[in-house]
Amino acid sequence: MSQETQKSGGAPTIVLIVIGVVLMLGGANVSANPPAFLAFQKDLEAQGIPLDLGKTVAAIGVFLILFPVIKTFFLKPLQEAIDQRTQSLESTFADAENLRTEMAQMKSDYEKRITQTEEDARNQIQSQIKEAQDLRTQMVSEANARVEEMQRKAREEMESERNKVLAEVRLHVADLSLQATEKLLNENVDNDRNRRLIDEFIATAEVPGR
Amino acid sequence: MLEFLQVGSRLLAAGEEAGHATDEHASEHSTSTTHAVEGDHKGDHGAHGLSFAGVGVYLAIVLALIFGWTVSMRKGLNGRYFTKWTTQWTEHMYVFIENMAVGIIGARGRRYMPFLVTLWLVIFFGNIVSLFFPSSVTGDLSFNLAMALIVVGYVQWEGIRQNGLFGHIAHFAGPKLPLVLAVLITPMIFVVELLSETMKNVSLSLRLYGNIDGGHKAVVAMNDLGKHIANIGGFDVNVPIGMFLMPIKLLTCIVQAMIFTLLFCVYVSMVTHDEHHGDDHGHDHGHGEPAHA
Repeated sequence: MSQETQKSGGAPTIVLIVIGVVLMLGGANVSANPPAFLAFQKDLEAQGIPLDLGKTVAAIGVFLILFPVIKTFFLKPLQEAIDQRTQSLESTFADAENLRTEMAQMKSDYEKRITQTEEDARNQIQSQIKEAQDLRTQMVSEANARVEEMQRKAREEMESERNKVLAEVRLHVADLSLQATEKLLNENVDNDRNRRLIDEFIATAEVPGR
Repeated sequence: MLEFLQVGSRLLAAGEEAGHATDEHASEHSTSTTHAVEGDHKGDHGAHGLSFAGVGVYLAIVLALIFGWTVSMRKGLNGRYFTKWTTQWTEHMYVFIENMAVGIIGARGRRYMPFLVTLWLVIFFGNIVSLFFPSSVTGDLSFNLAMALIVVGYVQWEGIRQNGLFGHIAHFAGPKLPLVLAVLITPMIFVVELLSETMKNVSLSLRLYGNIDGGHKAVVAMNDLGKHIANIGGFDVNVPIGMFLMPIKLLTCIVQAMIFTLLFCVYVSMVTHDEHHGDDHGHDHGHGEPAHA
């Protein structure tokens, strides 16, 4: 605004002032001693038109002085103050706009962070669930393995006990059979040979379903 | 108010005395028939206007008011917000004139702000002075003619600066016409345009002079109606009926200042309009003066 006004240019101030002073003095002189060619002023005045070209010339001189004076002492500080205030307001608005942009950016970042946090939490929960499921599966399999191992050991022990009991029973039955046979025959036969025969008998006479 | 009038009358009388001392014709005017119109109003100068010294006195009052206003206005310029009322009013005035200039002339209108603001201040304060004093600088035809000459002269200078001397002179010749019509009509248009430019001085100066001086005369005439309206206990009762015209005169102060500056903007825009609107518009804008108050 100021720059635009400053472009008005025109004659230098000092020239305007000098011309103004000359016109003022000349106008005063013309008004005081009107030349002959201005005699028509009297006729105009008689007709109700009060014209004094000396005053007109002097007034033009006053204005030539007044223009730069008003421009320098009235307009320039006013324009500077208005420009300064406008710049200040623009700066304030720009700051506010920057803050608004910054706030929007922060809000966006915050929302992104919230989203990221939620995603991380979800992933972590899923991971924990998966880990728990793996752990459960592992524990179940370990328990199953242990049960199977215990079952196997129990079966082996049972087998061993059964075999042991069967052997004892077989031996006992063989002794009973020998004793019974001995009593029946009253004959002391070869003990080793009888025993072999009894064993073969017992082997063929094992309980079905074993 | 009465004190103002009395002071104004004294100042004016002083100015008149000084003017009469230097102007030998003044004594002749005092016996002229127009002077008889003045009646017994010392401040009313009838048709023979202010003397040179009278204009000087009133101009000094106007300049003093402008100076005082400037000082007061500048005190309010420090700070982000203009809190002083004179500064606020000045800013309103500045923005109003700037909007007017930019609206009529375009962005270049801002370069005329010093000229416009000076005219506005002198006319406005001159008109305000006329509210409180018997006359004012804007109530003097010669002073108004000076402003009109400056306005019209500046407009011509701007026209020459923008369009060149021959371009500006060609501007007066009107639109381009076929050869036969151009020979017949263009010279007439040229003469009419020259007369129109000359008459701008007359219209500008007479309008302001008529409004201010006429307003003053109307107030005086209405005050005359209220003189000696009654006699109570041996005292004459005078009713200043003319005071009721003060609101209208106050409005006139602003309107006339606005019209003067507005017309300058219109004149400048007319001589430099080709820059903004192109040649398509030609001279359709017309060169006559728009109707105003």
